[in-house]
Amino acid sequence: MRNAITDISKLIEPGRIHRRVYTDPEIFELEMERIFGRAWLFVGHASQVSNPGDYITTELARQPVIMTRHHDNTVHVLLNRCTHRGAKVVNERRGHAAKMTCCYHGWTYDTDGKLLAVPVPEGCAKGFDKNAFGLVRLARMGEYRGFVFASLSAKGPSFEDHIGPMKSNIDDLVDRAPDGALVLDAGMHRYVYDGNWKLQVENVLDSYHVPFGHASTVNEKGAQFARRDGDKTGAAVVEAGKNQTAPAWKSRRSYITGNGHGWTSNTLLDDAKRSSSAFDEYRRVLAEKVGEAKATAILTPRLHNSLIYPNMSIMGLNIHIRVIKPVAVDRTEVTIYPVRLAGAPQAMNFANIRLLNVTHSAASFVQTDDLESFVRVQNGLRSHGTDWVDVSRGLGEEEPDRELNATRELATHEMAVRAQYQAWLNYMEGAA
Amino acid sequence: MAEAPDRAAFERFLFHEAHLLDERRFSDWMELFAEDGTYWVPAVPGQESPFDQASLFYDDRELMKTRIERLGHPRIHVQTPPSRTAHLVGNVVLEHTDEPLCEYLVASTVIMVEYRNERQRIFAGRQHHRLRQIGGAFRIVQKRVDLINCDSAFEAIAVPI
Repeated sequence: MRNAITDISKLIEPGRIHRRVYTDPEIFELEMERIFGRAWLFVGHASQVSNPGDYITTELARQPVIMTRHHDNTVHVLLNRCTHRGAKVVNERRGHAAKMTCCYHGWTYDTDGKLLAVPVPEGCAKGFDKNAFGLVRLARMGEYRGFVFASLSAKGPSFEDHIGPMKSNIDDLVDRAPDGALVLDAGMHRYVYDGNWKLQVENVLDSYHVPFGHASTVNEKGAQFARRDGDKTGAAVVEAGKNQTAPAWKSRRSYITGNGHGWTSNTLLDDAKRSSSAFDEYRRVLAEKVGEAKATAILTPRLHNSLIYPNMSIMGLNIHIRVIKPVAVDRTEVTIYPVRLAGAPQAMNFANIRLLNVTHSAASFVQTDDLESFVRVQNGLRSHGTDWVDVSRGLGEEEPDRELNATRELATHEMAVRAQYQAWLNYMEGAA
Repeated sequence: MAEAPDRAAFERFLFHEAHLLDERRFSDWMELFAEDGTYWVPAVPGQESPFDQASLFYDDRELMKTRIERLGHPRIHVQTPPSRTAHLVGNVVLEHTDEPLCEYLVASTVIMVEYRNERQRIFAGRQHHRLRQIGGAFRIVQKRVDLINCDSAFEAIAVPI
């Protein structure tokens, strides 16, 4: 039997990754323990539980979790597991409950997880202490502008250490809302694929694949379909008539900031040229709230995708939040939430929601070809002929960006992927 | 206004529509839609609006055209190889007649079996066609498909249901 624990560092080399990282169930189990069991994970957005008694359920490291809003208005992240015999206490994806009662023997919990009552209390063992039987709270929780993160581990870098370098990427999305807040009340897109979770994580910052992976979305002039309301065309990703990546697309950059986080910049779409009744009115409302100069700055495309490693990304282009849930070594589920910009005209929010259907739903024009690629990679990696996945593009060409306090490289290079595996190794090899 | 067509006329239309999808005649399928026609597959049961909530599909003619051009693109990876589908449409009921507009709301049950790449899967649900009678022909004002599993996580869906 291989010992996955002792040879883990041999799986990552400069510019290449061993296929076992994607295919070995033992590695996957270790990831659940050492990455998802330790890292700060995105749980949900505070607006999903806007009123006391609201809850959502999700899974972190494959464990059932509830996020609630208590009657004192605090948000709580709890394991969705009855402390009596183990049943999931809450069974809906979202809902509202003044108290949470287990279906099996009726143990009843408050919305902060406290055990309130058990049926037939006179039968409790001597010394039974209700206070010791509340729903288990995740070890640590942090929130930034409504983005709620939690860690299953009491130890490790602080929330500030983890999220600090990515705060401006969160700001980039939230500041688009004239009222400075996002609302996640527009439903969700959910898709699954037979492939490893890291294939989706890598893809978020992969600009190399776009002209080829998404060839079916590119017209004869080399531009993608218009995917934002008010754009006459999408980004020019292919050089017209040449079947080659367009120079402007090649000039885009990607950035990393440590911890596996990063982003890609400059969508090539210019908001100054963007115009529609919905967008013009939105720009007017935003400028009225924050001033003309700041509105222009907010609407100047700076970010395409931002990755907050290991389980979420934010997209400034087709605005949304994406959450990645590993299911098995070769199975991954992804949820994509459209975000409503508080204070924006309804027509703008509706347009954003509508175009996200065709970019990121399970039936969309863009996401479907990525899913096909993920499945084909997982299939291809079964081969023993070659054990290594190559991610060496631009190796050694990384350069510091002092202004942004980051490291940058051309976006069609693979620095961001390498950075993810540096973080991966740090988690996997780190002391418990 | 003329008397409402009998159920057989609606059935013939729905069977023809299903046949076009199964034959991958997507452009012909699109032509069944009125210029203001929409194709909607909600992402939650009983979804009230396609505007304020995410949907699996909500295409007007323009998006439908982009979708169908993509389905004909030689490098659409998620259709290499292409899906094969078989639609079954039944339990057809005329639910509502709007006489002034010559529009009919027709409900039916649809089952689509899809085969691609060694895998077969089933989509099933209730669909509603709002049909406008123009001359002697029907045009689709809205096709809405409520899948029984609309809020589940799906593997890639490349072809309309």
